[in-house]
Amino acid sequence: MSDMVPDRLKIGYPKLEKFQNPNVITTTADFVFSWARSNSVFPFTYGLACCAIEMLSSGFARFDVARYGMEVFRPTPRQCDLMIVAGTLNEKMAPVLKRLYDQMAEPKWVVSMGACATSGGPFYDGYNVVNGVDKVVPVDVYIPGCPPRPEALFQGLLELQGKIKQHSFAPVLPGAPEDAGS
Amino acid sequence: MTLEIGTVDLTMDEIAGRLAAAFPVELSAVSVQEPDTVVAHLERTRLKDVARRLKELPQLAYETLNWIAGVDLGAQLESVYHVYSWRTNTYLELHVTVPRAKAELDTVTDVWPAADWHEREAWDMMGIRYLGHPDLRRILLKDDFVGHPLRKDYVDLAENHPHA
Amino acid sequence: MPDHFAVPEPDEAVKLALRRVRETTAVGGGSDMEGLEFNEVVVNMGPQHPSTHGVLRLVVTLDGELVKDVIPVIGYLHRCKEKLAEKRTYYQYIPIVDRTEYLASMNCEWGYVMTVEKLMGIRPTRRAEFIRVIVGELMRIASHQVAVGTFVADLSPLGTAMVFYMFRDRELILDLLEEVSGARMMFNYLRFGGVRYDLPAGWVDKCRELMKRMPKLIDEYEALVDDNAIFLQRTQGKGVITQQDIVDYGITGPNARASGVPLDLRRTRPYSVYPELDFEVCTAAHGDVFDRYRVRMDEMRESVKIVEQCLDMLPRGRVQLGSLRAPYVITPPPGSCYVGQENPRGEYGTYIVSDGSRYPYRLKFRDPCFCNLQLFPKLLSGNKIADAVAISGSIDLVLGGIDR
Repeated sequence: MSDMVPDRLKIGYPKLEKFQNPNVITTTADFVFSWARSNSVFPFTYGLACCAIEMLSSGFARFDVARYGMEVFRPTPRQCDLMIVAGTLNEKMAPVLKRLYDQMAEPKWVVSMGACATSGGPFYDGYNVVNGVDKVVPVDVYIPGCPPRPEALFQGLLELQGKIKQHSFAPVLPGAPEDAGS
Repeated sequence: MTLEIGTVDLTMDEIAGRLAAAFPVELSAVSVQEPDTVVAHLERTRLKDVARRLKELPQLAYETLNWIAGVDLGAQLESVYHVYSWRTNTYLELHVTVPRAKAELDTVTDVWPAADWHEREAWDMMGIRYLGHPDLRRILLKDDFVGHPLRKDYVDLAENHPHA
Repeated sequence: MPDHFAVPEPDEAVKLALRRVRETTAVGGGSDMEGLEFNEVVVNMGPQHPSTHGVLRLVVTLDGELVKDVIPVIGYLHRCKEKLAEKRTYYQYIPIVDRTEYLASMNCEWGYVMTVEKLMGIRPTRRAEFIRVIVGELMRIASHQVAVGTFVADLSPLGTAMVFYMFRDRELILDLLEEVSGARMMFNYLRFGGVRYDLPAGWVDKCRELMKRMPKLIDEYEALVDDNAIFLQRTQGKGVITQQDIVDYGITGPNARASGVPLDLRRTRPYSVYPELDFEVCTAAHGDVFDRYRVRMDEMRESVKIVEQCLDMLPRGRVQLGSLRAPYVITPPPGSCYVGQENPRGEYGTYIVSDGSRYPYRLKFRDPCFCNLQLFPKLLSGNKIADAVAISGSIDLVLGGIDR
């Protein structure tokens, strides 16, 4: 596309090295963006099995997930930042999980809810069971339990909020120092 | 049509006796399992014929298929049919065995439409092939799964675990 | 870089759907407008979909908005339960049975425990029988609350009031069950010969209080939708299950009772102490979506009646056979046995073949939703896609049971 534009009309952007890696200049912007992101996470309803019912219960009246800003459960991955994998993953479902994870836009996080999503759970020696969702997608927070109580889910989500707050909006380019955020 | 349950009053022994009398050659080892099941072994070549006649028996009329299970008995594979008779409100459990090397049985989908998915599951899990089934393909496992897991000699293969 | 826009290779179900479209095209089958060209589209609903209640995949062939054919694809939650039964002792398997139909765990455990007890030739204590009925019926109310709540939530966006009310009250029931067994969902409470714990002090009064409130709460739910013209228009006359379907496909539970067939295993194949209890079998006349909703609401009221009777009739005594704890390792004599019981979704039972060892030789689940799902192609064809969603919600599927 850019070779269709004649040279005299091309605008040269100055190189913003300061915003190419997280550093002291980006900290305030980081604080604002991460605060906004962590308090308004859109979870993806990826309930597979029994843990999905506890996830549903946590969305309703008694255990209200709206107080953390996460009540907007969207069924389409295009509109979500957080994928809560609740339930057992098996070989037939794994490609679907990968595909849906790929369809989410960055920045995205994955919470593995329950023993089955963490490591196969009570079905770990099944011929068809994938021992943990982290064999297919990268996981940020693991929540143990079978099923985890809604309070346990909230503890996991609060951990995730803490992790999101450390995220930086500036991309980490190759060659950046080791302790750059995210 | 109003479906009535339990309009015919027969004791279990009478039912077992009638079945043994109606199918003297095909059914063997007819016994009663309290409180309401008759258990019998059926010869595999007569399966379709007996199934059709069971559905049309005058007072017993086993019209509904409850489930089909595949069992691995070592040298043989067994297909267990559990059928229900509305008029007598009793069940009949038919055991049909096939040799392991040639695990083929006639389908009963034309007699009991419910057999469709149950036979697919027995094929998927145990490897019993039902001849004449309209669409015999895997139902619970992925399409390219290798092997029949509920057999006793099934070994977990690496090709079934691409995501291990 | 993964190609997000790549269309994956069609799998067997999609190939079958495409083949059927080609076959109907070849013989001139088409839409209802003569002489016009038509174009049937094969669309995938699921396995991740807000309205399929779990990981069910429906490969739908659409002609505009009309559903021509549905091919359900299951197995996305297949957790190898029947094979795991061969590697776990009978006692170790109870928590796994819980997770079959996770919305009605107590009833599922009951179905398994009854079969093993029959194989062993033991009967639970009388007090335990009554406790089983109480927790089973409480679970039935909770299960219907989820079933009807999510069904109504499908008809409108998730912000419907009914599902919020139902889940709020479901928490009250789960509180009671948590006091008894220690867990909110996967109870692991029933044992061979009884139940694990006796009822705690004061539980009977709390339960009685909740059962006094329950009919008013059910009135609240009904007041939300029963007179709603849109709800009635969307549910009456749709998705009729005929009695011939029930005979052909082995449909049981509220789906069968809504078509006028009084098939309730608590009455037709009585087990436990149900013969001593006074309750009605709820049926309805037409077998459409509205009747299935109606039957579930009526059953909730009947369950309240049953629980109240049991609380009054609760005898004193032990809750487990034998010494303080039931034996951990049991070895039923060789033989096979099937016992079915009335789950909130239909007839749920286990067929167990025992070879005299500590592990079951073969365990097979008879799951009601697996049999009910076979009816989908017949039930959904000819309806608009919106009605298809309503109908599939009213059948009340739990994928844990279908896929096991």
